[in-house]
Amino acid sequence: MEHVSLAGRIFRGVALTLILVFFMFPIFWILLMSFQTNEQILRIPPRIYFEPTLANYEALISGQLRTAAGNLQISFMRNLFNSFVLSSAAVVLALLLGVPAAYAFARYKFRLGETIAFTLLSFRFAPPLLVLLPLSLYYQQLGLNDTYFGIVWVYQLIALPLILWIVRGYFEDMSPDIEHAYRLAGHSWREAFTRIAVPLAGPGIAAAGLLSFIFCWNNFVFALILASADKQPVTVGALAFVTASGIQYGQIAAAIVLSVMPTLLLALYAQRYLVEGLSLGAVKG
Amino acid sequence: MARLELKSVGKSFGAARPADGVSLTVEPGEIVVVFGPSGSGKTVLLRMIAGMFEPDEGEILVGGRSIVGAAPERRGIGMAFQNFALFPHMTARDNIASGLGARAAASDAAPRVEAISRLLKIEHVLGHAPRELSNGQKQRTALARALIGYPDVLLLDDPLRNVDAKLRYEMRLELPNLLRRGAAAVLYVTQDYREAMAIADRIAVLVDGRLEQVASAEQIYVTPASVAVARLFGDPSINLAEVTPFAEHGTLSAMVSGAKVRLGSADGHLPDCPCWLGVRPEDLVISVSASEDAIPAHILAVTPMHEKAVLLLRLSDGTEWLTALPPDAPHGAANDAVFVRFAPEAALLFDRATGLRIGLSHRRQAA
Amino acid sequence: MGTLELRDLDKVYRSRGKPPVHAVRSLNMNIEKGEIVALLGSSGCGKTSTLRMIAGFESVTAGSIALRGRRIDELPPARRKVAMAFEGYSLYPPLTVRQNIAFALKSQQLSRSEVSRRVDTVARLVEIDDILESFPRAISGGQQQRVSLARALVRYADLYLLDEPMGQLEPQLRAVLRGRIKNLLAEREMTAIFVTHDQTEASALADRIAVMEDGVLQQFASEKELKNRPANLFVASFIGEPPMNLLAADVARSDGGFGLSIGSDISFQMRGDALGHTAQKALGELSRVRVGIRPQKIAVGTGDARVRVVSNQWLGDQSHIAGECAGNLLIAVIPSRIAARPGDIVQFALEPRHLHIFGPDDACIHHAEVS
Repeated sequence: MEHVSLAGRIFRGVALTLILVFFMFPIFWILLMSFQTNEQILRIPPRIYFEPTLANYEALISGQLRTAAGNLQISFMRNLFNSFVLSSAAVVLALLLGVPAAYAFARYKFRLGETIAFTLLSFRFAPPLLVLLPLSLYYQQLGLNDTYFGIVWVYQLIALPLILWIVRGYFEDMSPDIEHAYRLAGHSWREAFTRIAVPLAGPGIAAAGLLSFIFCWNNFVFALILASADKQPVTVGALAFVTASGIQYGQIAAAIVLSVMPTLLLALYAQRYLVEGLSLGAVKG
Repeated sequence: MARLELKSVGKSFGAARPADGVSLTVEPGEIVVVFGPSGSGKTVLLRMIAGMFEPDEGEILVGGRSIVGAAPERRGIGMAFQNFALFPHMTARDNIASGLGARAAASDAAPRVEAISRLLKIEHVLGHAPRELSNGQKQRTALARALIGYPDVLLLDDPLRNVDAKLRYEMRLELPNLLRRGAAAVLYVTQDYREAMAIADRIAVLVDGRLEQVASAEQIYVTPASVAVARLFGDPSINLAEVTPFAEHGTLSAMVSGAKVRLGSADGHLPDCPCWLGVRPEDLVISVSASEDAIPAHILAVTPMHEKAVLLLRLSDGTEWLTALPPDAPHGAANDAVFVRFAPEAALLFDRATGLRIGLSHRRQAA
Repeated sequence: MGTLELRDLDKVYRSRGKPPVHAVRSLNMNIEKGEIVALLGSSGCGKTSTLRMIAGFESVTAGSIALRGRRIDELPPARRKVAMAFEGYSLYPPLTVRQNIAFALKSQQLSRSEVSRRVDTVARLVEIDDILESFPRAISGGQQQRVSLARALVRYADLYLLDEPMGQLEPQLRAVLRGRIKNLLAEREMTAIFVTHDQTEASALADRIAVMEDGVLQQFASEKELKNRPANLFVASFIGEPPMNLLAADVARSDGGFGLSIGSDISFQMRGDALGHTAQKALGELSRVRVGIRPQKIAVGTGDARVRVVSNQWLGDQSHIAGECAGNLLIAVIPSRIAARPGDIVQFALEPRHLHIFGPDDACIHHAEVS
């Protein structure tokens, strides 16, 4: 561990740089594109030096997409807002349902317990397209089609299993004696759950919540089928940039930058929790 | 104050039977130590009383009222755990105060926390989080949390297991007084027979889910109920030899490795079954001179322990025995030939079929 | 020249973002052929680092290790001719107990009958002959540890390294196994180093004990020597069960010697000729010292120290009586039982000849007489 030769250190540096470039270059390139006009982007060969323009961002924020074929109304900001509302609501709901459920699965042995837990996990295995057709039929009958609630509900397929399984692992990792000790001191199981179990699983819950937020944010298919224009998130809204007169690369890039920004900032802010939460073992007394 | 009663408590986990007809009464102010080898069901017993799981059969009573089925927080029980089970996100002070339960007012808690932590010598670390405490301080904090509410029943699950040897010794001296303070019925689990003898008013020896003997430390050490109990107490543990005792000129004797040793007078009933002869290592005497009742042996190794010289002997028939001699007593070196004797009063006889002890008329009595 | 020589051995652990940890500091040890040595200390004292450096699992920061005159600190572990038993057992799960033990002999190209003879012998020694065909997961922790021991002892090596070899053993077996292993090591003139935090185990097995604390070797001597002539206060209080009673005493000159008083209740007259020249000189310059007396050296029921009993615990073969005297807790260990209850007043006899005296730097000024 402690004696790393010079060659080793150089090799490590080079390898890290390569990996970093590989993963960061697309993001860097998108960022550059978002400040260029379509003509600048499509130049061959591409150039690093250019006259930066904010036109793409202006277009997105004002909702006016100027193309060769004329002005087009887009609702990108609305999409962004939708993404935010849908993902947050889905995660909040999944936490409210998933954390107590995870606790139950971790602490109590009951009939069919494992089967239920595994069934919930299996939602993650099934390709969404498989359930979409029956789901959209149900939704039409139930009147859930094209409602925020309907989409938040279907997002539980994404968020709930994730939260359930990560947080369950967390609860299982904690010694039940800690809760026993609290209960023996005269506190009800509800208090033991809210004052002891949940705070101790905090990093795990934060990590699971964050991950499921990102997964919900990135979802495309569910919203594409189940939501109309005014309920669509950014992932679906981005389709509007494929216009009759061509693909608006500049605006797409700007849209990507804007839509990646919230999750990126969230991930950076919560990095500490993510690392703690996913490496477990953070709750040793 | 309330007495704790277990009546024929039984529990199974699949094929395992960690509790099998366990009946035990602990009076208020009494310390009963549940002692047994690992896997004998000690912890399961404690956890049934605490309400972490329920017995399959039998009753558990506190102050005459059954607590089976009651929620743990309504049982009036304080407990200290082997792994401390402190709340990592609270300070030591809040950990201790939590032992007062949901009802206690904050203004009432503060002086009581101060008082109990002074008693346990942790008043200087009250503001620390558990991870900043040494293992000894953690266990003292956990004890304070269990003691502060004056519970009717106090359960301690091997509380000194994870504490270093020196602190364990100190705690062994302090614990009996601390535990008696609130006149609770105390049930204390340990795997260390010395800890059990030091702390207990009575010891309940648990082997494979059954109570083999419940008695004072003296009675258990001097008159163990069975060979299993005899083997659990004493370090080095008791020496055993297969014998078939016989009466001769009014004395009970047995052949051990070719020597005829006296076991007492034969006026009582004579055990005519194959027996285990048990002699504690500290009751063996070593000499270099032969005699009729001395067992010839040679020394395999000298291993000093517990301020004593412990010799591993091989008797002429291949049996290995251990002796524990005072450190200044003369003893040989490895490979020396010696002779082993013991007083008839030191002999214990056990039925080889049942393992139970057979009473001998000249047996010294427990104080 | 010894079989194993450790010369100015140093071990520093460096990890990013943390201060370096100096685990072992200029350690010098000479271990003779056939000697059994215990590295004894509390966790983090450097004993395991030392063992792992000898085995080759840890690099040496500075200094050298030589085995039978040959430098080994740069060699890979397999070429050091060292056998090791690990604390975590580390048995191979897919192999039976017999195969696990025989695995240690693989490299030695022995005939099949020789391998099975040696496995059987060592298996009988540690009482695992009835589980030789079992797999590691099917046997208890104590049995696993005995297999691990057998795997180390079955080899013929220049040096045997044992990491906490008996910590998990069933208590009823421990004393017998210690005796047998000591007998085996002596018979084969095997050189062995074992790490332990349990001084009972160290004194039972070892010819010499190296007491370590904070990476520094405090004293390296036989068990008797450590007890009778501890080099400093740490060794004095660390060795011995229960630990030595330590009391602060005021020093006063008196005719022909020194008076040591502990509070107003206990005082000793030390005759000058019993002290020796250096001790007299040291005491002459001090007004306050620490005195130590082993619990086994205090007689109960006689003497002038009146002590209020705190606890009286009988452990079958001995009684431990703790009493309070002038704010000090004194512990006496006697072979018999006495009928004292907490709160009673009993007499303790503390004799001047049993006193160890320690100066302000914790070095020992004077040792008790050896009885």
